[in-house]
Amino acid sequence: AGKAHRLSTEEREQLLPNLRAVGWNEVEGRDAVFKEFHFKDFNRAFGFMTRVALQAEKLDHHPEWFNVYNKVHITLSTHECGGLSERDINLASFIEQVAASLS
Amino acid sequence: MVSKLSHLQVELLGALLESGLTKETLIKALSEVEPYVLQSESQRAINALQTEKGEPCPDIPNLPNGMGEARLSEDETSDDGEEFTPPIMKELENLSPEEAAHQKAVVERLLQEDPWRVAKMVKSYLQQHNIPQREVVDTTGLNQSHLSQHLNKGTPMKTQKRAALYTWYVRKQREVAQQFTHAGQGILTEEPMGDDLPTKKGRRNRFKWGPASQQILFQAYERQKNPSKEEREALVEECNRAECIQRGVSPSQAQGLGSNLVTEVRVYNWFANRRKEEAFRHKLAMDTYSGPQPTSAPPLTPHNSSSLQPPSALSPSKVHGVRYNQQPASEAESSSSNHHGNSSMVTTQTILHQVSPPGLEPSQNLLSTDTKLVSAPGGTLPPVSTLTALHSLDQNPHALSQQTQNLIMASLPGVMAIGAGETSSLAPAFTNTGASTLVIGLASTQPQSVPVINSMGSSLTTLQPVQFSQQLHPSYQQPLMQQVQSHINQSPFMATMAQIQNPHALYGPKSEVAQYTHTGLLPQTMVITDTANLSALTNLTPTKQAFTSDSETHTESGMHTPVSQAPTIHLQNQDTSIQHLQPGPRLTSSPAVSSSSLVLYQSSDSTNSHSQLLPSTHNVIETFISTQMASSTQ
Repeated sequence: AGKAHRLSTEEREQLLPNLRAVGWNEVEGRDAVFKEFHFKDFNRAFGFMTRVALQAEKLDHHPEWFNVYNKVHITLSTHECGGLSERDINLASFIEQVAASLS
Repeated sequence: MVSKLSHLQVELLGALLESGLTKETLIKALSEVEPYVLQSESQRAINALQTEKGEPCPDIPNLPNGMGEARLSEDETSDDGEEFTPPIMKELENLSPEEAAHQKAVVERLLQEDPWRVAKMVKSYLQQHNIPQREVVDTTGLNQSHLSQHLNKGTPMKTQKRAALYTWYVRKQREVAQQFTHAGQGILTEEPMGDDLPTKKGRRNRFKWGPASQQILFQAYERQKNPSKEEREALVEECNRAECIQRGVSPSQAQGLGSNLVTEVRVYNWFANRRKEEAFRHKLAMDTYSGPQPTSAPPLTPHNSSSLQPPSALSPSKVHGVRYNQQPASEAESSSSNHHGNSSMVTTQTILHQVSPPGLEPSQNLLSTDTKLVSAPGGTLPPVSTLTALHSLDQNPHALSQQTQNLIMASLPGVMAIGAGETSSLAPAFTNTGASTLVIGLASTQPQSVPVINSMGSSLTTLQPVQFSQQLHPSYQQPLMQQVQSHINQSPFMATMAQIQNPHALYGPKSEVAQYTHTGLLPQTMVITDTANLSALTNLTPTKQAFTSDSETHTESGMHTPVSQAPTIHLQNQDTSIQHLQPGPRLTSSPAVSSSSLVLYQSSDSTNSHSQLLPSTHNVIETFISTQMASSTQ
């Protein structure tokens, strides 16, 4: 797993814009990022989730998520540091990759 | 074969496969998954699936801990249980009694299989993961020769020993699987035997290049012999990715490659070794050319002396005679060293042609590393000019390539790699842009063939390229060059004339009149003319057209164009200019014509003096060349 330390301001300035550009937003009230994904149907959505899940296991870093039919809401945050860390960024990138391949 | 799957099942399967699972792993996992989905239906389904795949033993033991390795004997087993590490079982590793029992069961099953089939499986596994046989031998206690014969040829092996082998195989698979699984996570669970067995060498096996990586490296070598650190790092990534793919593992698990992980240092060493190899091959080629004599300062001399018997008192008029007499000897020499004299020259030129300026750098390296090479005064000059000449050869890549390849093979070990596309390991690297390699070799050889020239000065350097072409007939070149040098002081023209008219005198030390003739005629050799012709020499350098515009028939002679165009960049000494005779292309099509055309060509852009010189030499050259061509055509 990657580093679990909270991202510094410089690191945020460097990394978050990329995520923001693809739709990840900071959550109010906590240090986390959130994004909603839409898919064609449940199968696609769950296939996406499965891929993300497998990767999460590999990275030992899991998302907070919610799924209803073809929608998936994902919130990323690191529990150990109580905020955003490199692991979140990594997982977010991977999630983007998978979503792109599925849509 | 696949039963009707729902969309979701398809999606999930896709997700699993995309996460790095291989099919075999998935299938194996199906049996291992028992504990999780231990239901009669699923068990039946799994069995059905297995038999469907031809599983000989559907009676997969119902493992309590699911960490067993289900061995599918007919398939080549790849790393198993990669992403599939039941979290609850992480602690239960190889040493758990169930696991041991499971492994034994697998081994038993293998022992009942056809030994040859299993041997093939094991062997391909070793190849896939680049595992040295030594490792197997160390841990199994088997005899390496016996093991090798059993795996490669099917030599029978007693059951007891095969059991040891299969046990190692089973354990190794698990170990490697864990290696890859935990590549990104560090070692979470106990590794059965560490990265690999502690060998006598220490913990790690010796690194070995895999075929996939080598292919990538050779292609990169063709492009550039001396990659920068960034390029090396890019190659590292590419190679590791390829190696992972070869092993059926996701590239993100490259750390699992263990001792065979490609690093930047290894790539650096690989390139360094290839460059040295090339220089060495080049050196060998030069030696071959020079004949069995020990290579001395004038490499050509020994060759000449052995092949030719220069009559000491030959008058100019007799030169021809001598030449012809020597022809057989030289022919023999040349033919022995070159399969196709023409083609070799052609190839050389072709090769040069293909060399690109960046390749000059490596060639310089070659020059420096090649002990036989005389250090060129203008270090960059010879290779550049050589390369230029090669570039000009581009006109007839196809026509020449074949010949070139053959010749190169014959003449230069290094060339061989390039041209022939033969079995040589370098073949892949050189098949395409072998020119660059060849050029380098040629460039390096040039100095050898004309050491004198180098020492002479800048003017001499120009000769170097000629050497290159002369390599085909090194003996010829040397005497000429040396003589040229001695006469250069006088005047280029005079030098040339002197050579032509009084070869004997010039060749005194060399005592190879025949050589002289060679040199004089040689398309390969450079006729020293006026400074005006320096431009001709320059075409050896970057103009690339050195060989392209042969005045008439042959495309290769790019001398034409470059001569006129090329400034005297490389010819530092304005006193002499060397006409680069273009042997290669000419030779192939019509030797006699080519030589003459060469001469004419050179004079085309040169001054009158040059032309004056040419005619006189032309005849000589022509005759000589014809003879030479005949001989070299062998």
